[in-house]
Amino acid sequence: MPIDTLGAPEVFRLAQPAKEERLLPEIVERLAAHRAGCPPYRQIMDALGHRPDRTYRSLEQLPWLPVRMFKTHALKSIPDAAVFKTLTSSGTTGAPSRIFLDQHAAAAQSRMLSRTMQTVLGPHRLPMLLVDTRAILADRRTFSARGAGVLGMMGFGRDHAWALDADGEVDPGTIEAFLRKHGDRPFLIFGFTFMVWLHLYELARDNGWDLGNGVLVHSGGWKRLQDRAVSPGEFRARFTADTGLRRIHNFYGMVEQIGTVFLEGPDGGGLYCPDFADVIVRDPRTWAEQPVGEPGLIELVSALPTSYPGNVLLTEDLGVIRGVDDGAWPGKRFEVLGRLPRAEARGCSDVYAVPAQGRAAL
Amino acid sequence: MPAAEPLTVGDARVVAFLGALSARLLSPSVARAHPELGSLGFFLRRAELARTVERIRTTDPHTVRRPRGLVFHVPPANVDTVFVYSWALSALAGNRNVVRLSSRSAGAADAVLAALNAALADADPVIARTQRMITYGRDDAVTAALSAACDLRVLWGGDASVTELRRYPLGPLARDLTFPDRSSFAVLSAAGWLTAAGDAQRAAAEGYANDVYWFDQAACSSPGTLYVIGAPADAEKAVDGFRRELAEAVHRRGWTVDAAMAVEKRVRAYGLAADGRAVGVRFPSNELAWLRLADGAEPARAWLGAGVVAVSRLDSLLDLVPMVGPRDQTVSHFGFTVGQLRPLVEALPGRGVDRIVPFGQALSFAPVWDGHDLLEEFTTRTTIRT
Repeated sequence: MPIDTLGAPEVFRLAQPAKEERLLPEIVERLAAHRAGCPPYRQIMDALGHRPDRTYRSLEQLPWLPVRMFKTHALKSIPDAAVFKTLTSSGTTGAPSRIFLDQHAAAAQSRMLSRTMQTVLGPHRLPMLLVDTRAILADRRTFSARGAGVLGMMGFGRDHAWALDADGEVDPGTIEAFLRKHGDRPFLIFGFTFMVWLHLYELARDNGWDLGNGVLVHSGGWKRLQDRAVSPGEFRARFTADTGLRRIHNFYGMVEQIGTVFLEGPDGGGLYCPDFADVIVRDPRTWAEQPVGEPGLIELVSALPTSYPGNVLLTEDLGVIRGVDDGAWPGKRFEVLGRLPRAEARGCSDVYAVPAQGRAAL
Repeated sequence: MPAAEPLTVGDARVVAFLGALSARLLSPSVARAHPELGSLGFFLRRAELARTVERIRTTDPHTVRRPRGLVFHVPPANVDTVFVYSWALSALAGNRNVVRLSSRSAGAADAVLAALNAALADADPVIARTQRMITYGRDDAVTAALSAACDLRVLWGGDASVTELRRYPLGPLARDLTFPDRSSFAVLSAAGWLTAAGDAQRAAAEGYANDVYWFDQAACSSPGTLYVIGAPADAEKAVDGFRRELAEAVHRRGWTVDAAMAVEKRVRAYGLAADGRAVGVRFPSNELAWLRLADGAEPARAWLGAGVVAVSRLDSLLDLVPMVGPRDQTVSHFGFTVGQLRPLVEALPGRGVDRIVPFGQALSFAPVWDGHDLLEEFTTRTTIRT
């Protein structure tokens, strides 16, 4: 009996062999288009020895770009005149990533994100409780990854309520009013993982709130919860035991692959790849693909990027594949384990050490 | 209590103290943990210091060398040992010194401080009275007071640090001695390499490996680009041979880089390719990356990560002349004679290239650095006419 009763997971349908067979020629074609449309990308590929006539027999053989290239270089496969939208990731320091979309790409990423999210939210907008403060949207100058993530998710809900007040203090009155009004039908809760845990879990437990009709969508990494010794498994178990919330979906994605979201399945068995994307974990010493269960650096593969060469990206996140075609949804399921630290040079100069960047959630 | 004798140029109490420090740095336990401190230990040996002092001892009865006074040193945050060289030479010149240490100091710096404190316990009390290593947060008042009080301010670090610190006024008689951002490259004679004996090739590769792993190849004097000088066929043959020897040297010494550094190297190498400057990028291992720059390309002056060789070919050493700029500091060389290297220096129009050293000595500090003779800078001369 599947927990998810909101219809078939429409972008989580392909088993691994079928997915690879479909994705490989599609992405090879994308890379050829980037090669033609993005001279810096072509120069990287040529320098690496990836000539246009090369054949690739698997996704694993495709040349990856370090995700940080989008911070250091403007990589786009479309003419300047066609740029419809430029997305920037916020980092607390250093240059932001710049991602260029034309109208077609902007529409496609928005469409695929919706289809991915509808897998767990259903086709209609649900009343939405945001575990954040409205102030996050107020100041465009300090508009952060958090703000962008919140804004990106707001479109999936209606009748928005903010769980935190303008000072970032939790506002139980607002949450209770929201639950009184919407708690007996499906509703959406969104927030960053650590904020959901800090501000919502304990309050709901102590006040005996019933979140049984809720769908929680959360993102943003486990680092701050690891310090509190809260694992993804415990996060789910305690929410379910103490608030009745069962439909919990962590997601993982980055602005450099906007529209591609890796979503936790209804079983809590890890993050699943949508049909148009895949994940590869690499051994950071040999760069070979790691077998299931062996941690390494996460490489994200997506057919989505058309306006910039972001189809095959080596992230600076560590992760592990937990299984293939053996979970609630088909394909690979994986877990993000943390971040690779930034290399710090011990040079004479003061321009090398840049702290690790924050990651945009969407 | 009578006032202690003030320090003099080449003061015996300082020499004794530095000698004791040298012995601690050369002790087997320190050398094992921090091999890069070995060259510092040698630099501070008594005999070495005596030679250094001898160079500025003048026998001219009409000239007296004297210490400059109070010297304020601001060393770079992330090279562990530069502060010791700068401070030690200034102490040897008889100055009172205040060294501002970064609170971000790394492993080797802590080992140096431990050795300093241990040596201080047995030293003449004048050392503790006149030599101070301090750490403080971003405190403008302290920096301003020290800047106003000192007779010489020594600034290391990036251009931004130097500019930032220059905002604090000095006294009217005081001066700045600055060591801003510099970068370095290496030259390999194709003919020299191909005719060198196997053991000379091995030693050169070992030296080069030290040059590109110590300080993560991020010191001002670490070579980034390797120019192979010779006709195309010879140059290719020499590069192939050097590539093999270097890989073996790295393997023998067991140099490694971590995953973060491996990613960093790729980001920077791909960046040079995207800019059209690197026409070839190869990562045979995480330890060593080989970039190919076009023949006659400008040197890659930005940091490339630890263990990166960016190779370019030139017909002749003199082809470097139009490319050298004021930022260029050290040229490491193999296979050239002084007779071949001098014409290059003589042909350079402006500032740029302050030292030319064999492979393996790029990071060996010398009393003449960035074109400044430090003992000259750390002393004054009084002339007597009768």
